[in-house]
Amino acid sequence: MKTARYGIDDRPIFVIDQSRCIGCEACVQACSECGTHRGQSLIHLERIDRAASTQTAPMVCMHCEDPTCAEVCPADAIKQNEDGVVQSALKPRCIGCSNCVLACPFGVPKYVADFDQMMKCDMCTDRTSEGYAPMCASVCPSEALWYGTPEEFHAHRRGSLVDGWLFGRQAVTTKVFAVVDDVAAGPIDVLSGEERGWLDDPFALEDGAR
Amino acid sequence: MASVTSSVDRRGVTWGLVAVAVVVALTFIGSDRLVWFDAALVGYLFGVVFAVFGVVYRYAVWLRRPPTAMLNKRGWDAFKARKARNAAALPALVGTHVLGQTFIYRRSKTRWLAHQLVFWGCVLAALITFPLTLGLLHFQSVGQQADRYQVYVSRVGTAQFDAGTVIGWVIFHGLDIAAVLALAGVFIFLRRRLNDPGALAVERGGDFLVLAGLFAVSVTGLFLTVSSMWLDGQFYSALNTLHALTVILGLMYLPFGKLFHIFQRPGNLGVAYYKTANAEGPQAVCRRCGDGFASAQQIADLQEVLPQMGFDYGTADDGSYQDTCPRCRRASVTLAQSARVGGFG
Repeated sequence: MKTARYGIDDRPIFVIDQSRCIGCEACVQACSECGTHRGQSLIHLERIDRAASTQTAPMVCMHCEDPTCAEVCPADAIKQNEDGVVQSALKPRCIGCSNCVLACPFGVPKYVADFDQMMKCDMCTDRTSEGYAPMCASVCPSEALWYGTPEEFHAHRRGSLVDGWLFGRQAVTTKVFAVVDDVAAGPIDVLSGEERGWLDDPFALEDGAR
Repeated sequence: MASVTSSVDRRGVTWGLVAVAVVVALTFIGSDRLVWFDAALVGYLFGVVFAVFGVVYRYAVWLRRPPTAMLNKRGWDAFKARKARNAAALPALVGTHVLGQTFIYRRSKTRWLAHQLVFWGCVLAALITFPLTLGLLHFQSVGQQADRYQVYVSRVGTAQFDAGTVIGWVIFHGLDIAAVLALAGVFIFLRRRLNDPGALAVERGGDFLVLAGLFAVSVTGLFLTVSSMWLDGQFYSALNTLHALTVILGLMYLPFGKLFHIFQRPGNLGVAYYKTANAEGPQAVCRRCGDGFASAQQIADLQEVLPQMGFDYGTADDGSYQDTCPRCRRASVTLAQSARVGGFG
């Protein structure tokens, strides 16, 4: 478990590399212990194609620079803090309409019917504001979810970091970085990923591309 | 100066002024042309007028945000579509969503208790002070009996009561009861805010300010009773000024901060009708997996609102990425990211 405490000048970043997920669900358990939403796990652990694959993938809030969820909220209940972290809905304001759940391009917010509230990952504000890694990143054994300084990342990990995404014509910039091999290819085009199946040829042996 | 005037919402100002006119007219007529208006409360009246203008102004501006305007329209559409059924459902909805606040109970019993204490304390205080301030309600002693009073609504005499009875005590101490309720809630909230690291981390300035404000109003109000009952009225004048100041500042804060949720949150009733109507209507089908995932109406509404907010999720096949269910969005993001690192592992 990562216990490093980062100072304000370290400027730690959150990095996601879903291809590394091993589906252990440690993040799911850890998330429910986050101080800002104790007992509620807000991370998604997706089984990509349950029938054909064991592959899983985590999804945390990517903390968009211009969050779609906040813009479509009729109650103006979703706010960014000064660090650019998109907070969970303000409890007194959220009227439980689920607009954010349906509009988020990453499919992140959850509508919790019992509480009649939207809840979402706030990057463990209680921890990150004090320099600690978010719960999920602190327990992820495969570093699919990772928190640290860019220098630490480049010292220990392969790949480059991108914070740009394309959803059809909509470009989105996020606070959370994703790992790619080909940073020069620009933002991750979400709809283009469908062209190549998940398990068709995971190690690219057939076309000899790698 | 030009930038100030251009940033003022004219329609909001108009609605605010109309609301102020209604309050002033209500005061004038309700107090029988100011005969029963208590001049000692004129400061409170200014506070009320400011709060009414501010709240109505902000509400009018809020209602014009595209997603809010859409939901407001759809909520009423849904209500009108089945008026009889929806009107019949209203008392239960108000009971759970507005008065009982059962959604907080399921989140935390302690927070529900605290919120109920503050809520009913404030409701009780508002029901007493607003009619008194506007001159709609006053008390007169009956004949020569110093301990018997009659409640007057405008100039119409209603119930009589003896000051020495339980009813008399409750009526004259109504605001003390309200203050004790609110204070109990404030202390429970304060305990959580000071001890829970999670709550501290997402603390916003307004959270403590509201608790401090409620504390100040309640305590200064209780001091007035202490002064008159046990201190022979010592310090009453200064305490009265202090209490008025806290109440007027509180009223002036209403439109700006956290307490605006009092007016905003009942929008939840419209959402309840919208959701019921949507559940009965056709479902939107995910463009990726083909499963139904949400109401077609809500997805259509969102796709009307998104461009107004500056978003374009259109795809090359003239469709919309927004027609993807949240689960498939997460899968698509994963597949796209993994493709850029040459697969998993």
